[in-house]
Amino acid sequence: MPHDTIAAIATATGAAGLAVVRVSGPGALAAADAVFAGGAPLADAAANTLHHGWAVWPAAAVAGGAPARALPAQGRAPRPAGQDDVAAAKRRQAAGPPGEQSPPGRSGAAGERACTDNAGIAPGTRLDEVVVAVFRAPRSYTREDVVELSCHGGALCAARVLAALLAAGARLARPGEFTLRAFLSGRLDLAQAEAVADLIHAETESAHALAVSQLGGELSRRLAAVAEAVRDAAAEVEARVDFAEDVGGIEVPAHVVESVAAAEAALAALLAGSAWARTVREGVRVTLVGRPNAGKSSLFNALLGDARAIVTGQPGTTRDLVSEGLEVAGARVTLVDTAGLREGGDEIEALGVARARASLETSAVVLWVVDRAAPLAEEDRRIAERLAGRRVLVALNKSDLPPAVAPGEIGSLLDGVPHRAVAVSALRGDGIVELTGALAALLGTGRAGGLAGAVGNRRHADALERARAALARATGAARAGAPGEIVALELRDGLSAIGEVTGESVDEDLLDRIFSRFCVGK
Amino acid sequence: MMSDAPSGSTRVPQDGLHVRHCGARSPHERAARSDVAVAGATHERDTRSDAEVTGAGPAGCEAAVASATPERDGRYDVVVVGAGHAGCEAAAACVKLGLRTALLTVSLADTAKMSCNPAVGGIAKGHMVRELDALGGLMGLVTDRAGIQFRMLNRGRGPAVWSPRAQCDKARYSVEMGRALDSLPGLARVAGVARRVRLERGRVAAIELDDGRSLRCRAAIITPGTFLNGVIHVGPRRFAGGRIGEFAAVALSECLAGLGLERGRLKTGTPPRLHRDSIDWEALDAQRGDEPPMPFSHWSDRLEVEQVPCWLTRTNAQTHRIIRENLHHSPLYSGRIQGRGPRYCPSIEDKVVKFAERDSHQVFLEPEGRDVPEIYVNGMSSSLPEEVQLGFVRSVRGLGRAEMLRAGYAVEYDFVLPHQLDRTLEVKRVPGLFLAGQICGTSGYEEAAAQGLVAGINAALRVQGREPLVLGRDQAYIGVLVDDLVTREHREPYRMFTSAAEHRLLLRADNADERLAETGFALGLITREQVERVRAKLSAIEAEERRLARIVVWVPATAAVGDAVREAPAPGAASDDGAGADAGPAPVTRKSDPAAAARALRALDLVARPDGSCAALASLGVETALPPAWAGCLEVRTRYRGYIERQQRVAARAAALEHLLLPVALWEEPLNGLSREAREKLARWRPATVGQAGRIAGVSPSDVAVLLVHARRFAIAG
Repeated sequence: MPHDTIAAIATATGAAGLAVVRVSGPGALAAADAVFAGGAPLADAAANTLHHGWAVWPAAAVAGGAPARALPAQGRAPRPAGQDDVAAAKRRQAAGPPGEQSPPGRSGAAGERACTDNAGIAPGTRLDEVVVAVFRAPRSYTREDVVELSCHGGALCAARVLAALLAAGARLARPGEFTLRAFLSGRLDLAQAEAVADLIHAETESAHALAVSQLGGELSRRLAAVAEAVRDAAAEVEARVDFAEDVGGIEVPAHVVESVAAAEAALAALLAGSAWARTVREGVRVTLVGRPNAGKSSLFNALLGDARAIVTGQPGTTRDLVSEGLEVAGARVTLVDTAGLREGGDEIEALGVARARASLETSAVVLWVVDRAAPLAEEDRRIAERLAGRRVLVALNKSDLPPAVAPGEIGSLLDGVPHRAVAVSALRGDGIVELTGALAALLGTGRAGGLAGAVGNRRHADALERARAALARATGAARAGAPGEIVALELRDGLSAIGEVTGESVDEDLLDRIFSRFCVGK
Repeated sequence: MMSDAPSGSTRVPQDGLHVRHCGARSPHERAARSDVAVAGATHERDTRSDAEVTGAGPAGCEAAVASATPERDGRYDVVVVGAGHAGCEAAAACVKLGLRTALLTVSLADTAKMSCNPAVGGIAKGHMVRELDALGGLMGLVTDRAGIQFRMLNRGRGPAVWSPRAQCDKARYSVEMGRALDSLPGLARVAGVARRVRLERGRVAAIELDDGRSLRCRAAIITPGTFLNGVIHVGPRRFAGGRIGEFAAVALSECLAGLGLERGRLKTGTPPRLHRDSIDWEALDAQRGDEPPMPFSHWSDRLEVEQVPCWLTRTNAQTHRIIRENLHHSPLYSGRIQGRGPRYCPSIEDKVVKFAERDSHQVFLEPEGRDVPEIYVNGMSSSLPEEVQLGFVRSVRGLGRAEMLRAGYAVEYDFVLPHQLDRTLEVKRVPGLFLAGQICGTSGYEEAAAQGLVAGINAALRVQGREPLVLGRDQAYIGVLVDDLVTREHREPYRMFTSAAEHRLLLRADNADERLAETGFALGLITREQVERVRAKLSAIEAEERRLARIVVWVPATAAVGDAVREAPAPGAASDDGAGADAGPAPVTRKSDPAAAARALRALDLVARPDGSCAALASLGVETALPPAWAGCLEVRTRYRGYIERQQRVAARAAALEHLLLPVALWEEPLNGLSREAREKLARWRPATVGQAGRIAGVSPSDVAVLLVHARRFAIAG
């Protein structure tokens, strides 16, 4: 089934200097030519060239085969194209036009509707001044003909150019469809395709660096070396199973066990960066807890540098969760202020406390705000009990007042719980920098040195963790004297999990390896 | 080529015609005869029908058969060409499924001839023989009757890869296979040489013989082995033949090419045979069989056999020097042999050249029978000139005075690239034409027999209009074999290895009956009595597992679980025995033992320990009533339970892709998005399922993802 021609605004909406509209598919050049008035037709343009000119309203549909449909009977009065129309077209794309059943398998309907919506514009009407980039198949992002029209920023210009392209026969692209085509054309492998999605969604610089590294295939390269070692080991083990009389010897020789152990260590090293890499990529949640009136909301505002939460002297002021994003050492942190964990409040507060507990469960780090100016209360002890098993950052608040909590009291409450304590004054802003630093440390930025090749994608991290565990089982089994086919089973499991990331299958060359290394066969 | 008119001429029945009808005379047979008389009058008068009129009808057709093949016009349902290991199983399966079957062979005396080594089974191969046996195949039973030495290989490893092997008396094997075939009611064993497959309306209609006879049929199974355009090489000498002293089937190969089948060329070899009286046995190490010998067949209870040993010696620097100095005489190294040989069964020339750093290779001397002088020199396959072979043989310890009865030789032969076959082993473009054995690019008696069975069953099912039988990769090595053949690319003769089976722990020799007997019974390949026997075994084992799970034994605290480490088998040891019963002092004791604090353990968990076994339990007074073989099954099931369950889960996940069928019409689509290599490969193989597509070399996981997208779009559009 040949692809049709798709178009979409490739840049984010909002105020910006430039906006790019991208067209891809066999009719990309024709559609672009229909909306482009420049020195020469784009159809004659060389690959990878830029052309200056004007985007104009097209005369008729030229790409995608089907001409624009006539106005439906209940068609609205023609009006100028605008952002609303495109947005409406997008909504219809999802829902189907009201009162009209979109025929199944026909995805061009929305584009055609977008065209009819602009039917009042005279052909040749100038829409925007543009620079057009021409990429020819297969040397383009999608490996199809691609044209990118850079117009002026802001939603309106790009939306009108897009509407013009749709009028010229292109179809509005679905979310991610350009990358899907790149993947389907073999331009990107699965890991790279996922990296592109990450790149687009990267909200911090570190996340961006990570995605760029993955796009370059750094992870795949590192994994290839690990997989190679495991395949060699598997060949050694399999040879002893299948050619017992030729190869002989003990089940799994020590040097094979060692090389598997080394492969496992290599995976472990990749994964060690992974928690932080994931933090960078996905962001983490940090929930504030503490006794009522310990100053949670004040600290929340102090961390954000913004009066986001309502602060009063009244305990229980914060009823619901209040959350806000902030960047800590390159990681996106979602800071959640809560109603605390107090029991026995009114009904609304009780609901808030329940939500606070739920938030606690999904937090990477809990920020426990302690009122250092007052002696620890029974409630502090109850909170401490709830923090077992979590990573805790203790903010000893109200450092501007004389301390009533002895050093070590917190430590004994949090016995066995990984934590750091920092004295702060939310009121004055003292210690906030130190608190942020301690948060970064708890989140694991200590390892942030080499993000290149780190495993930042949850799917990858899961697969590699499974691979690592399988290799660990393989060495364990081999050392315990388990028979070769059991060790081989684990090695194959490990390889197949690595293959989920690199896209290679397990047994491609197993026999080649065996035959090249052992003289087998009576 | 597609359709031939009947010749019309009346042929005289020929003197040389041998049609041997087997089985007891029955009322069915008389009925058949009258049918044949009518058929002979109304149909083309080929010699086949003449023979029917003068001889007996396709005897022994049972009632079920009659309904399955209503037009009883004197034709065969299936003709099997070649009575080697594939052909015999194919014919037997067809007869068991009730078809009128002819088994065509050059010489009846050469039925199921062991052309190369005198052994059946071995690692992975033994598994397949057990599977064949559970599906009503003959190989296991015949091996039990013809075997002269039985061993369980890989005993030092885990039970999943224990594999039975038997040295056989070659002549006896042929005789016993002939007997087994004779006991099948209604099988016609025909002597003759197939020349051509005749099609009518694009379907198989007859097998034509080189003497002008024609055997009409609705399906044909071609199993020519190395005879398909075979060429033998001994040093510089080169002559046509499938085996030394025999002919080559040249016309048949051309006929297959004429049907549009793409052929390739393969090579295999065989070592010299020595006279047993010329060997210095004192200088050799003996390798003896297991006592008691364990039968191959599920249906043999006990073997009463006096076993003979094999003998072990080694090549040396002198041997290697002779070979190196004469390499220029080798057809392999002078380029006269084009076909690819198996890397797992290299010639001695190959071993010396490719593993130059090794100064010695093992040589096994295996008797070809009890009463014949031939000794098979396993490990010295060669196509060097005879005098060179004699020279290097005599350089080996114990063989200084050896007399060569027959030189080793290499044989090149045609095969049909197996991607042109369905998973039923039917040729995709020729309905009714099935191939099995070396013609599909395999080597080995067991691989051939397994394919013969698959082709036979599916030819019969096709004739009867029933659903085909496709065994899964998680169900049988036979399933792995067929899937690998029709899915993967082959650069050398295919041999089965346990590493080919990704679900290896599920496919054990000890549970072949458990895996396949119900299928065999449902199809009609084994009897109710046989399947009941399997059911009884299984339920006895399960009951014993439940019983042992309720019994508590006491283990002294000093013998920590997991402390016991399996003994590593001695390198190359022939008689290593890690079966567990001998794992030192019993690790368990009674509670009454005052020596140490003991801890409670379920008896079943004790069996699951690396050092545990039913024998160890017995030493604690917990006796099992299971026969030893069944107790062995219980031990395997218990000890590997966790792994087995894991593989079952993996197999279940993989099955999802195996059941996603790809419509044939999909291959007419342009399939954008696939890599060029994947597109070419898929167009060539036309895999039946998504799972199969993923196993084709060059089809990557992302190609599979793209294929899924296309298949879905296609399904929606269609």
